Amino acid sequence: MSALEIQNIRKSYGAIETLKGIDIALQSGEFLVLLGSSGCGKSTLLNIIAGLAEATSGDIRIGDRSILGVHPKDRDIAMVFQSYALYPNLSVRRNIGFGLEMRKVPVAERDKAVQEAARLLQIEALLDRKPNQLSGGQRQRVAIGRALVRKPQVFLFDEPLSNLDAKLRLEMRTELKRLHQMLRTTVVYVTHDQIEAMTLATRIAVMKDGRIEQLGTPEEIYNRPATLYVAGFVGAPPMNILDVTVRGGALEVAGSDVAIPLPARYAAIGDGARLSLGIRPEALRLATENVAGLSLPATVEVVELTGPELITTARIGGQKLIACLAPRARISEGENHRFAFDEEALRLFDPKTGKACEVSS
Amino acid sequence: MERKGLVFTVFIYASALLLAVLILAPVLWLFIMSISPAADLSAKPLRWWPQEVDFSRYRMLLSTVENSAGAAFVASLYNSLRIAGMATVAAIALAIPAGWAVSRTPTVGWSLSMVIATYMLPPVALAVPLYMGLAWLGLLNNIFGLALVYLTILAPFTTWLMKSGFDSIPREIESAAMIDGASLFQTLRIITLPLAAPVVATSALFALLLAWDEFFYALLFTSDLRAKTLTVAIADLAGGRVSDYGLIATAGVLAALPPVLIGLVMQRALISGLTSGGVKG
Repeated sequence: MSALEIQNIRKSYGAIETLKGIDIALQSGEFLVLLGSSGCGKSTLLNIIAGLAEATSGDIRIGDRSILGVHPKDRDIAMVFQSYALYPNLSVRRNIGFGLEMRKVPVAERDKAVQEAARLLQIEALLDRKPNQLSGGQRQRVAIGRALVRKPQVFLFDEPLSNLDAKLRLEMRTELKRLHQMLRTTVVYVTHDQIEAMTLATRIAVMKDGRIEQLGTPEEIYNRPATLYVAGFVGAPPMNILDVTVRGGALEVAGSDVAIPLPARYAAIGDGARLSLGIRPEALRLATENVAGLSLPATVEVVELTGPELITTARIGGQKLIACLAPRARISEGENHRFAFDEEALRLFDPKTGKACEVSS
Repeated sequence: MERKGLVFTVFIYASALLLAVLILAPVLWLFIMSISPAADLSAKPLRWWPQEVDFSRYRMLLSTVENSAGAAFVASLYNSLRIAGMATVAAIALAIPAGWAVSRTPTVGWSLSMVIATYMLPPVALAVPLYMGLAWLGLLNNIFGLALVYLTILAPFTTWLMKSGFDSIPREIESAAMIDGASLFQTLRIITLPLAAPVVATSALFALLLAWDEFFYALLFTSDLRAKTLTVAIADLAGGRVSDYGLIATAGVLAALPPVLIGLVMQRALISGLTSGGVKG
């Protein structure tokens, strides 16, 4: 039995279709991240699950019960909003306990649940304050606490960390992960931040224009992107995409005389096909003179030291190639270098459909 | 904050002082008139300061001896309080659900604009239809009838104020309350209304002042002590063969007291209400 099942959900506003048939099935305890840039429909989908918006067609089931048309309070969900949406006129204690108060849970039991949630989130000392006396991170904890006490089947998070500064965001991210590991509740989490998606999710749904581009584990999304869009969206810096042509069992990089052998798993691709070659910047390393293997020659244009790595922008036959190198790599602007990589790191895409080329096993 | 020169600071304070004097001078003169003997007020040249302080007019206007000028004044004061009070309470009671509905359902915003459009009509244009309507209902010279007329003036105005107040309260807060299991009524009572309290107070005060100061309709639709309001009563004082300016001034001071007292009590709520409506929080 799946904890949350989204079946062919569509949503139109007049002639504009913002969701074009979404299908996702989640096992209990999964952490699903809906990842995409703004306007891709991820927040609309979350609002439909929460009951704040109605789907045009399709079905949503929580624990084998259709929740379409069910009032949000009866869906067994709790939601954390981007703006926290705390009740400014109520104390933290009452904010957290509000859901129980509305459900007529006895005071003693409510107090115990609030205390328990506050302990988990380390905000016990703040229970008698008002939300405007709290910092952003503390407010976020209260908002999470309010969702927590209800012990819902599904947690919904709408970009909960995007209002926090960078340091707090990192801290709260770890906190969320810790909570999920402890509570094992099913989570649907909306974000446009691919690092949040990679670190938190058990599964990621990358969305674009109301469709799911790829649904998979973070590892699959990162290592085996199904489309050029996913390849470009996930990863910082994003995957390098080079125009290549298949000729005589080799991949010729457009605009240069460089050719690398076509990996065996792509042997089925016919001669003359124009493809996009994807390779992660992290998969590239500086080749030493005498090491055999795959490599691409390129002219270095810009070198940026971020601290842990040296981001090198180079050109190969007019095309851009970014490499994340070790910070101590001896490299500077204007030099020609060879960038080595393993055959497994190569991905091939059909530029016309944007989809990854089939791999023969 | 940038630093300003001494001359500039003096200029700012002098301007503020001048403005305050300009606004307060008529009020002060009203009070001085009310305590000056009649001879002082008709003396030439005018005596700006009374030779002796005379509070007799206050005693006269607040007396409850039957058929005296005081009885008429007190009755009109009581009428004004009841009419303005009723109209204000009804206007707020209407404005809260109406303003909330328009704020949360932008697609019906046109209806409020249409109601506001009736504001463009001068009161004279509506006087005859209103008179006929009240006559048909048998509500002429009746405090309920006048309160009803005032309600048609106050309700659009308070609804509009309340709408801008509700607009500044994020909808997400109400969504959160809905998911938490609060009913619409609970959400309004526990969350939204307390947050909108300053705007409610501001609307109520402005509505009360509007109803309190209204003269035109009160003059047309009331004829005797049963419904006559304070503004009409003051006009009556000026309408006799001999006008006692001091008496009119005294009535003015007394008429100004209730709104001023309410304004002082609600000062803090008023200021935060005025700003919260305009600035998006």
